[in-house]
Amino acid sequence: MRRISFAIVLTLGLTSFAYESFGGFLDDILKPQPKKEQSQPSQSQGGQQEQPGLLDALGAFGVKKKDIDLIKKGVGVAQALQPIGEEEEITMGEAVAVEAFSRFGGEYRDERLTRYINLVGKTVADVSDRPNLNFHFAILNSQDQNAFAAPGGFIFVTIGLLKNLKNEAELAGVLAHEIAHVTQKHMLETIRRGALLSNVSEVTLSAMNKDPKMFSNVIDEITDKLFTKGLDKDKEYEADAYGVEFAYRAGYHPSGLRDYLKTLQSQEGHANSKFFTTHPSTRTRISKIDELLGQYADGRRFPVLTQRFQSYMGA
Amino acid sequence: MKKIILKLSFIVLVLVIIPSLAQAETMYAKKSGVKVTAEKSPTSKVVGKLNTGDQVQVVKKAGRQYQVKLPNGKSGWVFKFKLSDKKPAGKSGGSSLAGLTGKTTIAARESRSGGSIRGLKETTEQYAQGKNIDPSYRRSVDAMEAFRVSDSELAQFQRAGGVGDYSGGGQ
Repeated sequence: MRRISFAIVLTLGLTSFAYESFGGFLDDILKPQPKKEQSQPSQSQGGQQEQPGLLDALGAFGVKKKDIDLIKKGVGVAQALQPIGEEEEITMGEAVAVEAFSRFGGEYRDERLTRYINLVGKTVADVSDRPNLNFHFAILNSQDQNAFAAPGGFIFVTIGLLKNLKNEAELAGVLAHEIAHVTQKHMLETIRRGALLSNVSEVTLSAMNKDPKMFSNVIDEITDKLFTKGLDKDKEYEADAYGVEFAYRAGYHPSGLRDYLKTLQSQEGHANSKFFTTHPSTRTRISKIDELLGQYADGRRFPVLTQRFQSYMGA
Repeated sequence: MKKIILKLSFIVLVLVIIPSLAQAETMYAKKSGVKVTAEKSPTSKVVGKLNTGDQVQVVKKAGRQYQVKLPNGKSGWVFKFKLSDKKPAGKSGGSSLAGLTGKTTIAARESRSGGSIRGLKETTEQYAQGKNIDPSYRRSVDAMEAFRVSDSELAQFQRAGGVGDYSGGGQ
């Protein structure tokens, strides 16, 4: 029994130490805030801290309290390794969506065009790897060329970007890239990694409700990544690859995303686009997509729907 | 001698029948409302609809359409990208390890502000108020979530453009 207890302590202790040893970009941000005095009575809050759990029972087997604490810490890290739930994801997405409207000129009010973006977006989302998630699509009233995806399926595209597209296949390609960020849970993975490095044991709604500052810090980190720094290059390349696949599955010409990137590349240096600061080199992305397109030979006969796109854009 | 022949026949039967059964490919509906049509054309008569996780046996593959057999014995055609070879998993929830530390994990469901179907979640509302974000932006998110496209409108849109279920020449 002692050997087993020692092995558990050693394994979880080493795991915990390993994560503690790295400085994380969310170290300070996600650190749980000191608990404020609660004026209102709560049925569960007080009890949660002191309620003995299964691990406390290890004391009966001669395991010291400090070792039990160490195991608990290890379990906390293991909890953070658990996927973030869909309800939490959608809540975070809502808050990021509010920020998106607030920072990018608000909603572009055109009911017909918004409906069109939703029809194209849903056609792609339906054949994505998360077809049961309710995706939402909106246009931002900004002349900057940009598009982004908040967790939970909130997809944004600026009117500036729409004006630079040539056809519906390009629009489907751009939306498919954003949908792929959500299906691959890129932002959630970034948050989870940050939480892990900061020893935050739970990224749940109950934990975030108890500590609004923590929720606010998570949203700050997401918006910083989305609007300023951008995601890791590998995640962008992966979103390109899945984006091409999803657009193809939806029956659009699979080169739509590549074709828009070519337009963007031709504007590099003088276009007003956040794409250049939040995404890897356009040239590299185009070349990587070109390598993939060979696998979609039968998609060359799929439509690009220039006329329909232009009829909605009022060109 | 009879016994040997019988045994050999049984072995041959097992060797022939089992692999042929294993070849029947099982697939699952990725979402609810997946149409099963009588003919390969998605505009033909709808003979059934699948719910998320419903199992089908693939009988024939023809381009972007698969002919499938339903558990009730009926057969029809399905747009292949609405099917998956893996059974869709349930929704991911909170941590399952919480019990070990003796913590109580509250099920992650949150009410909408004002108790109505529409409206932002309470956490989001509190966040936006805390950051003094203009209420009009909160309303925009509310409208974004409330925006609906009906199944028939989507089908009509896809058919007109030859995309989605109607892609790859499926008319």
